[in-house]
Amino acid sequence: MREVLRNMFRRKTRTLLTVFGITIGIFAFTVMGSMAEKINLLVSGGTKYYADKVIISGSESLFLTAPLDLRKKAQIEAVDGVTAVSATVYTTLSEKFDAVSFGPPASIVGGERAIEEKYETFKITYSAGRALKDDDQGKVVVGSDLVKKLDAKVGDRVKVRGQDYEVIGIMNKTLTAPDNTVVMTLTEAQKIYYGELPEIVRSSSKPQNVVNGFTVYVKEGVDPNQLAQKINDEVPDVVANGPKAFQDQIASATGIFNAILFGVALISLIVGGLSVINTMTMSISERTREIGIKKAIGAKTRHIMGEYLSEAALIGLFGGLLGWGLGALTVTAINTATQSSGNVIFLLSARISIFAIAFAVILGVIAGFYPAYHAVKINIVKAIREQ
Amino acid sequence: MAAETILKLDNAMKIYILGGRKNAKKAQKAIQKLQKAHEKLSAKGQNAPAAQLKETLKQAQLLFAQEKYEDSYKTLTGKTLKKRRDRGAVVHALNGVSLDIKIGDLIAIMGPSGSGKSTLLNMLGLLDQPTAGQVLLKGQNVELIKRRHLPEIRSKELGFVFQSFNLVPTLTALENAMLPLKYSGIRLGRRRQMAKEALVQVGLGDRLNHRSNELSGGQQQRVAIARSVVNSPSIVFGDELTGELDSKMTADVMSLVKKLNKKGQTFVIVTHNPEVAKVCRRIIYMKDGRIEKEVKR
Repeated sequence: MREVLRNMFRRKTRTLLTVFGITIGIFAFTVMGSMAEKINLLVSGGTKYYADKVIISGSESLFLTAPLDLRKKAQIEAVDGVTAVSATVYTTLSEKFDAVSFGPPASIVGGERAIEEKYETFKITYSAGRALKDDDQGKVVVGSDLVKKLDAKVGDRVKVRGQDYEVIGIMNKTLTAPDNTVVMTLTEAQKIYYGELPEIVRSSSKPQNVVNGFTVYVKEGVDPNQLAQKINDEVPDVVANGPKAFQDQIASATGIFNAILFGVALISLIVGGLSVINTMTMSISERTREIGIKKAIGAKTRHIMGEYLSEAALIGLFGGLLGWGLGALTVTAINTATQSSGNVIFLLSARISIFAIAFAVILGVIAGFYPAYHAVKINIVKAIREQ
Repeated sequence: MAAETILKLDNAMKIYILGGRKNAKKAQKAIQKLQKAHEKLSAKGQNAPAAQLKETLKQAQLLFAQEKYEDSYKTLTGKTLKKRRDRGAVVHALNGVSLDIKIGDLIAIMGPSGSGKSTLLNMLGLLDQPTAGQVLLKGQNVELIKRRHLPEIRSKELGFVFQSFNLVPTLTALENAMLPLKYSGIRLGRRRQMAKEALVQVGLGDRLNHRSNELSGGQQQRVAIARSVVNSPSIVFGDELTGELDSKMTADVMSLVKKLNKKGQTFVIVTHNPEVAKVCRRIIYMKDGRIEKEVKR
């Protein structure tokens, strides 16, 4: 191993440049992979959440918040296949849409807790305190990513849209939308949402009648996609979406996003791999005589191959560790900087870390294989004559 | 076969110089043992027993050198070797060379450039294959040995010293000397010990951790010689091993070769230098790919 290290640093500048080539690739892979990891977990959480229910809103999009009349609830409940309906209000935590958000923005959610507790399959657990109940006026539960932003502790008061609320629970990390959410009672969320509506809408309704969504729990054996279609047919002026709509709107878009991210990282890695091939080929052509002598005194294929593959693998390992380290620092720095705004962009998971470093080593070995094979095939007699 | 000669050293040590290849090896080892015992006594300043031992050693070496071995005791044989090269026209780099190398030989191969000396050395050293003819190592036709086994044979049975840039520059003298042992699969502790002994034997016991750029040309060749004999090979091949050295260093290296040969190590040296050839007991002159003549001294 000592010999391999010494050989690596015979040409320090060349080796370091190659290591940096890999470093850039692995850095890009780590950062972009962490971003993709975060998105994937958000999407997988969303997929899980939407899997068994129908979401009703006032517009075609799942995430636009057009007002709906609470009285629609009875019409929806009357549709065959519906078990229960929870009225929901969803709005942004910030009054102004002032930050570019990665994933769903920090938000306020109000719903009918008793119904949700009974029918919701996406269970939330609490790191402190307890779940919200329908009569918990003036109280909120805070998602894990917003704890720092709101400086929330159970028993303390936090300011949400200018109002003081008592924190009664902190949710455990779900790695998806609830992490970025403040949950309050439906009536209090309605008041906030009502205040946001244009005067013309407010003049024709009351806060207690305005919501912007319904969560429909489906009877056992009923296909939520078919039920969504049925609701659309039977209940006027609402848009019902089943799990397929989420897949169509979000999951497929993130697939393209993932492909772009990994494509960029892959290109960087191919460049890194080519620079390993170049370095190893140069290195072998400089050491032809040495290889000849080693073969003459008994070096077998595995000795020569092992020597050069170890060198290439070490270049990969150093590049990988450096790239991963820089990536981890960048990801942590950005996450720390954006955490106060409740916007966590990256998730550097163990699998991304292990994969990044292992991939760098494997890339080194693959890139080093051709030059090493070339070294093995060197003709001893010709090599020894070389000066 | 009965013992032909018995040398009584003291109550404990005896040297048997017997006929036969196997016994020749035994005798070689016994001589090496004597040499070490002599070095030990000299180092301790026990001059009288050391002198007595030296006398015994000389006698043993003389007996060993005089021992007549039959054909089957040849360590390496080249039989009507031919090597044809196509360079526009067909050139016979070797054209029917036959040569026996016996245990304990010290052979110089001389001749003008292009006479086929190095080609012959490469054939005998299993670095190249003849177009026709056979190389027999301890009676076994090398052609019948699978190519993948040749590196192992080279690391165990053969040693090589080349003209220059002979050492791996990133390795120390000790690590260079350890290389053939590493390729033979000897464990680290043992190979360190063996390489150290070989370097002490060539007078570089105080240069173990020096790299080639910290050693003179002569010292580098000494390391290369230590590396070539570290595995106690049957034969050491030297290709112009003093080619890059001045006359003093040449004499220095050749006296080392002579010393090792006296201990039983077989050497085959390709050289242009008559001073080098003078040290050898057999001088083979080559011309146009053939052996022109052989002089025994």
